[in-house]
Amino acid sequence: MLGAKLKKRIYNEFNLKKQAEELGLKVWQTPSFLFIVMGFVIVVAIAGVYFISNNYDSPDILVISESVVVSILFIIGNFIISSVDQVARANKMKTEFISIASHQLKTPIAEINWQIELLLSKFPGGLSEKQQLLIGQIAHSSQKMARLVGDLLDVAHIDQGKLALNKEQINLCDIINEAVMNQRPLASAAEIELKYLGSAVPLEVLVDRRRIVVVLDNLISNAIKYTGEKGRVEILLEKKDELVQVCIRDNGVGIPRNEQTDIFKKFFRSNNKMKNNTEGTGLGLYIAKNIIEQSGGKLWFQSIENTGSEFFFSLPLAKA
Amino acid sequence: MEKKKLLIVEDDVVLKNSLEEFLIAEGFEVSSALDGEIGVEKAFAEKPDLILLDIVLPKKDGYEVLAEIKANPETTHIPVVLLTNLGSIADVEKALALGATTYLIKADYKLDEITQKIREILNLK
Repeated sequence: MLGAKLKKRIYNEFNLKKQAEELGLKVWQTPSFLFIVMGFVIVVAIAGVYFISNNYDSPDILVISESVVVSILFIIGNFIISSVDQVARANKMKTEFISIASHQLKTPIAEINWQIELLLSKFPGGLSEKQQLLIGQIAHSSQKMARLVGDLLDVAHIDQGKLALNKEQINLCDIINEAVMNQRPLASAAEIELKYLGSAVPLEVLVDRRRIVVVLDNLISNAIKYTGEKGRVEILLEKKDELVQVCIRDNGVGIPRNEQTDIFKKFFRSNNKMKNNTEGTGLGLYIAKNIIEQSGGKLWFQSIENTGSEFFFSLPLAKA
Repeated sequence: MEKKKLLIVEDDVVLKNSLEEFLIAEGFEVSSALDGEIGVEKAFAEKPDLILLDIVLPKKDGYEVLAEIKANPETTHIPVVLLTNLGSIADVEKALALGATTYLIKADYKLDEITQKIREILNLK
């Protein structure tokens, strides 16, 4: 297992063409290529110095040849720095672009959503049932777009270290109830049993309510999407010392072992058999993990392919 | 019961109109301003029960408006809810430090949820 991983890593390290494509650089500009060249120059230089000091009795020649080697190494080092710098700048620009674009998109999305809500809730007179249904569907699509743009903006904020949480003290059981209600239609459409037992006592946490709902929506909807018909999804809540732990358990397709280290990466989508049947951007888990960690908790999982998955998160209980 | 007075300071006409009409239908008395300068003037003159304030505004931005409202002893007690699409840590911290009661991301909130939030802050059922 370890051997295979190491082999894959070495292969990736030396696959210069792939690296160049990923970084948007020319092959000779990739850090790996430049390191190989530098290593080669060092080996040649050591051999050269050995050869010169054996055959020439002149310190001048030795000094000149060493200076030449140092200059070459300096030039290569400079190339490495500039290519890394170029990649870092491009990355920053990309994040800023996503941030600005999604911010600009949010205003028209809010306009559409608010006008539809105003129309349907305050001025529905004269609209036929069919018209109301169609407008409801438009509203649904627009809300989907809002979530997508919101996800992109959240990712940009996470990458810039600027994600803001509007924290308030709240009973976690209420938030889970809300999230379970949100997901009930999805579960019944897929004929999946969605079970939540709750807690007899309130469990107060200091969190951004909407964002924890997003985390739960992501985890529960994933569990539903990756569980076949007539499956089961359970949400369990447990108090552990100063923490409250939530578990979302399913008996679905599970996550293939070789993908388990990647699932919290941005845009990662599992290659399991449900991939083509489900919608998704691959941002949900990345955002969820960041929100939980920024709220002072942890998010982790265990999964066995074809048996099911358990996703856990813990949050510190609020001080009374 | 006397109607609660709200002031909306928002430069996007579509957003302002939707919010205004919804809140009027919900039983509030609503006035509005399309830029920061008029926003401050109306806040001082009308002394509403709550102010909904956008951040990116012409003439005076939301932060300046907020600072002026909080600096005036006659309006300093009025709760101000920021309506924004920004929502990075720096924006939020700046607004809360200036005395905003809370902030709401426009694209994430329904009009109904905003109304509930207003009622909560004003202690209305």
